[in-house]
Amino acid sequence: MSSDYARYAVRRVLQAAVVVLLAYVFTFVVISVLPGDPVSNTLRNPENGFTEDEITRIIAYYGLDQPVYVQLWESLTRFLSGDLGVSLRSNLPVSQMLGDVLPSTLRLAGTALVVAVVLAFALAFAVQYLPPRLGQVLRSFPSLFLSVPNFIVGLLLLQVFSFQLGLFRVIDSETPLATFVAAVALGIPVSAQIAEVLIANLDHESRQEYAAVARSRGLGRVRLFWKHLLKPSSLPVVTVIALTVGELLGGSLITEAIFGRAGVGSLVQRSVSTQDLPVLQAVVALAAVVFVVVNLLADLLYPLLDPRVRLDGGRRTGSTTPTTDPVRPQREVVAP
Amino acid sequence: MTVTAVTAVTRPTGPEREPTADAARPAARRRTTRVPVTVLASFGVVALVVAWSVAPGLFTTHDPAAGVPADLFQSPSAAHWFGTDHLGRDLFSRVVHGTASSVSSALVAVAIGVVVGGLIGLVGGFLGGLVDSVLARFVDVLLAIPSFLLAVVIVSALGFETINAAIATGVSAVAVFARVMRSEVLKTRSAVFVEASLLLGGSRWHVLLRHVLPNASRSVLQLAVLQFGLSILVIAGLAFLGYGDPPPASDWGLLVSVGKDYPLAPWLVWAPALVTIATVLSVNRISRWLRTTD
Repeated sequence: MSSDYARYAVRRVLQAAVVVLLAYVFTFVVISVLPGDPVSNTLRNPENGFTEDEITRIIAYYGLDQPVYVQLWESLTRFLSGDLGVSLRSNLPVSQMLGDVLPSTLRLAGTALVVAVVLAFALAFAVQYLPPRLGQVLRSFPSLFLSVPNFIVGLLLLQVFSFQLGLFRVIDSETPLATFVAAVALGIPVSAQIAEVLIANLDHESRQEYAAVARSRGLGRVRLFWKHLLKPSSLPVVTVIALTVGELLGGSLITEAIFGRAGVGSLVQRSVSTQDLPVLQAVVALAAVVFVVVNLLADLLYPLLDPRVRLDGGRRTGSTTPTTDPVRPQREVVAP
Repeated sequence: MTVTAVTAVTRPTGPEREPTADAARPAARRRTTRVPVTVLASFGVVALVVAWSVAPGLFTTHDPAAGVPADLFQSPSAAHWFGTDHLGRDLFSRVVHGTASSVSSALVAVAIGVVVGGLIGLVGGFLGGLVDSVLARFVDVLLAIPSFLLAVVIVSALGFETINAAIATGVSAVAVFARVMRSEVLKTRSAVFVEASLLLGGSRWHVLLRHVLPNASRSVLQLAVLQFGLSILVIAGLAFLGYGDPPPASDWGLLVSVGKDYPLAPWLVWAPALVTIATVLSVNRISRWLRTTD
């Protein structure tokens, strides 16, 4: 097991590194190969009043006169040495700009994750233990949550808590309550994904023979849930949670816009409207690193949590959507 | 081959397959013939939305672009079902006329996902080996970038138009289709009837077109329906942030985005929002129904 595990771990770490590098290259290609040249567009804007000579010098300074592959190589080596470049607009180092907004987004996303997990477990528990008729209604909740655009949830919460109840003001959006409300808006669609997997797993586990045996020996439903069903059902959720990290980062764009928070999402929005490519490149790279590292940790943790998992190659396989086979999205479990 | 081994093993006891095959057959047939009421209602909603997008003029009496200055911020009434906006335009006809753009761009997104993702999954799963590994890495990369962020970056590179938002949404959906298609292909490729077909002299193309694709189509169809609903949401999100066509257009997300600036006229947000939710909910219900009748 242990040497197997070590080999598995090394392999997964290497794959993760490759994916991060390729994600960086992919973003670079998307940003720089697609039509539109924001730098020279801005420079040639008559309002800025640069002469042709100055424009050439500025473009040369940023290395934008080089062929794309040279630019890519330089950008990549800088990225690997931890240098994220300089913003085209504010002339600040991108790492400093990111550092300023990161704490806000981390608070938001972290709270949202907690909200999502708590909500998902509460929902799954309620589905199992409320009367079937009510449980049937609750079963449709994840699907409902997934059908509501997250900006609608945000606007609704903002309307109720800020405009009507006056519990916080959008102007100072970093208070704990404001963060919590924003996190609920961000966490609801995520909780739906977790709840779907959790409910499907609980259904599956409660049909297993061991559950029937436990019931036949007189174990109450609540104790059965806590003692027997909860652990095997929630282990696969670790993987699902890791997969939803991307959702949290992407969703923060809209949530931050609605709640007026100064986080990574609003930085992205600003950079998109001003075509600040180095910032976009850095944010995407950062998001990819976060996603890959979180999923790497989940994959490394999983065999330690669930001894039934057989390590079979290092690749994550299976579906990433909870729709196809929600029971165990990542790995094979050896049949008992 | 170690790469491909895991997905090929699926759990035989999925939620829908609890009884043995023979015992389940009559029940399954009954289930397919009797469509649940909610699914019928969902088809009704989708049909209405399609009709709105094909012939919006049939459903509306007001011009979506012409404002009546005397009718600013009318709340919903018999004359204006969804009320009127800040220029006195009838919101119902704006929603109906915006449907075509919202629905067709979601279709474009799904088409990109199905074709590109399906092709990647098909080629990777069918050929295996190095090709599969390379394609799998590419899919991993697409998955590693949060899909909404990816869509935003692509649409900002292409330019802020609804069609570009659709393309961006489609690209961000490629990975999911590639994965599902690949695992379906692997499942079929190792089946006995495929082996038999090859032994009987069937060419690879024959196996691919006659066996692999038809078997994968069910899962891909179900995913495509689901992704259609998701694409409506993503495109609405992009429009909400202002990455679609600018305001004379009336995409659902854009209507919400414009409406949110008038908190005293909440119907400006709720009418387009409820239409979006009803549509996506119906589409998701149909997708779930397709999965259970499988």
